[in-house]
Amino acid sequence: MVLQAILVALIATISTWWFSHTITRTWLYPIWSGFLVALVMGQPLKGMMIAAAINLPYIGFITAGGSMPGNAMFAGPVGTALGLAAGLDYTQASVVGVILGSVAVFAWNAYMTINANWVHLADKYLEQGNLKMVRLCNYVPSFFVSLLLNGLPAFLIVMNGETFGNWLQTFPQWIMDGFAIAGGILPALGVGMLLNFLGKKKLIPFFFLGFALAKFVGLTTMMVTVVGALIAVLIYYFQNEKVGE
Amino acid sequence: MPKLEKKDLVKNWLLGYSSETCYNYERLQGLGNTNAFMPIIRALYPEEKQAEELKKYLIFFNTEPSWMGTVVHGITAAMEEQRANGENVSADDIISVRSALMGPLAGIGDVVSQSICYPILAGVCISLALSGNFAGPILFEVVYKVLMLTLGYNMYMLGYNKGKEAILDMLSTGLLNKILDAVSIVGLMVIGAIACGNVNIDLSFLEWEFPNALGSVVFNVQHDVLDTLLPGILELAAVLGVWGLLRKKAKPTTIILIIFVVAFALVGLKALTGAY
Repeated sequence: MVLQAILVALIATISTWWFSHTITRTWLYPIWSGFLVALVMGQPLKGMMIAAAINLPYIGFITAGGSMPGNAMFAGPVGTALGLAAGLDYTQASVVGVILGSVAVFAWNAYMTINANWVHLADKYLEQGNLKMVRLCNYVPSFFVSLLLNGLPAFLIVMNGETFGNWLQTFPQWIMDGFAIAGGILPALGVGMLLNFLGKKKLIPFFFLGFALAKFVGLTTMMVTVVGALIAVLIYYFQNEKVGE
Repeated sequence: MPKLEKKDLVKNWLLGYSSETCYNYERLQGLGNTNAFMPIIRALYPEEKQAEELKKYLIFFNTEPSWMGTVVHGITAAMEEQRANGENVSADDIISVRSALMGPLAGIGDVVSQSICYPILAGVCISLALSGNFAGPILFEVVYKVLMLTLGYNMYMLGYNKGKEAILDMLSTGLLNKILDAVSIVGLMVIGAIACGNVNIDLSFLEWEFPNALGSVVFNVQHDVLDTLLPGILELAAVLGVWGLLRKKAKPTTIILIIFVVAFALVGLKALTGAY
C-alpha cells in the first residue's frame, strides 16, 4: 500500500511538473494519468473506467495563459486512486474528482506563483554566465514544489482511502443524489469555458448548429466535426474570393 | 560562417516541449524558452557572447508550445542564424517578432489542440474506456502524441524554412485571423456536439400523479413539458448560464458552487415528490 501510494504521489507530481510535453502533455487528462494510476494500483480495468468517468466533466477542459477551470491534473490520478482505495462507483468517483479538482485549483495557483522564484534565481545565474545552472533552474526546483503541493496530499489521501470510503457510505441517499445531479451539470462548465474562449459573437451560431446536429439529427461528434470542417472551408474560400474581386 | 545543423534544430524543437516545466505567472514560458534555445545559441555564438544572447529569452513569453506555437521557435532559430552571420537583425527585432506572433499562435494552437482535437479524442476514448475497452486510454495517448508531434515538428520546420516574412505576411494580410475563424467554426460545432452528449440534466424524477374523474393523470416534468418544448433545453440553458456567468467575470470555483446549489435545490424538489 505504501509503495502504491508513493507511485501515485509521483504520478500526481509529474502531472503538474511537465518536464517534457513529449511525455507529460497527455498527463493533464484523467483518462491517461488515471489509467497510469490504475496500472500501479494493480486494478487496470476498474481504474481505467473510474479514470474515464473522472475525465467526463473535464471534457471541455482548457488551460489558456496558465488559468484553468479545475485542476484535472490532480483530480485524475488522486481521484482514481481514491476511487479504487475507497471502492467508489463511477458516479461517486466522478463527483469526488470534480471536488478534488476544484479544491486543488489553489495548488495550481500556488505552483504558478512559487515558480517565479526560480526564474529570479535563473536571472542571477544567467548574469554570471552559468548556463548549466540556468537549465537546472528550469527543471529541478519546480519538481519539489509539485511534490509538496500535489505529491504529498496525494500520498496522504491514498493512505486514508479506505477510511474515506467508509465515511462516504454513511452519507444519506439525498446527498448522493445531489452529487449525481451536480455531476451531470458540471460538464457545462467546461463547455461554457470553451465558448467563452472561442466566443466571437458572429461565430456563436455555429455552437448551436453543432448542438442541433447532434441532438435533433443524432450525428456523432466525429460527423459534426466533418460537417464543421466543410463549412469552415467553404466560408474560408468565399471570403478570399470576395477579397480577390 | 556559423550554421545551424539539422540536429540543432531538432534539439531546439524537442526542448521546446519543456517550455512549461517551470511554468509561472510572472514570465510563463520565459525560462523554458531560455533552456530550449541553448543548443541554437551554443552552435551560433562564441562562448563569451552566449549568456548575453540568451537574455532575450528570459522574458515574458507565452504561446501554445506543443502543436502550432513551435513555428515561433523555428522562425526565431532562422533569425538567430541570420544575426550570427552579421545580417542586420537586432536582439530587439527577434523579441518583437516573437511577441507579435505568440498571441495569434496561442489562439490558433489552443483552438486546434484544446477545443477540437482533445474533446473529439476524449469523447471517443472515454466511451471506449467506460465500456471496459483498454483501447480507450491507449488510443488517446497514441493518437494525441502522433498528432501533436507531427504537427509540432512540421510547424517548427515551416517556421525555420519560410522565416518571419511568410508568417508576418499572413499576420498583416489578416490571413491568420481568417484561419483562426475557420478553426473556431469547427471548434464551436464540436463543443456543441460535446455539450449534447456530455451535459446531462434529467428531471424525469419530478413526477406527480393526480387522481381525477378519469382515473389518474401522471404528470412528468421532463417527458411532458421539457422534452416536448425542445429536447436538450435544460442542457443548453446550463451551458448558456455558465457562459453568461463567465462573461460577467465569475470565477470557475464560484460557478461550481452555484452548480452544487442548483443540484441540491433539485434534490429538494425531488423530496417534494415523496422520494425520500
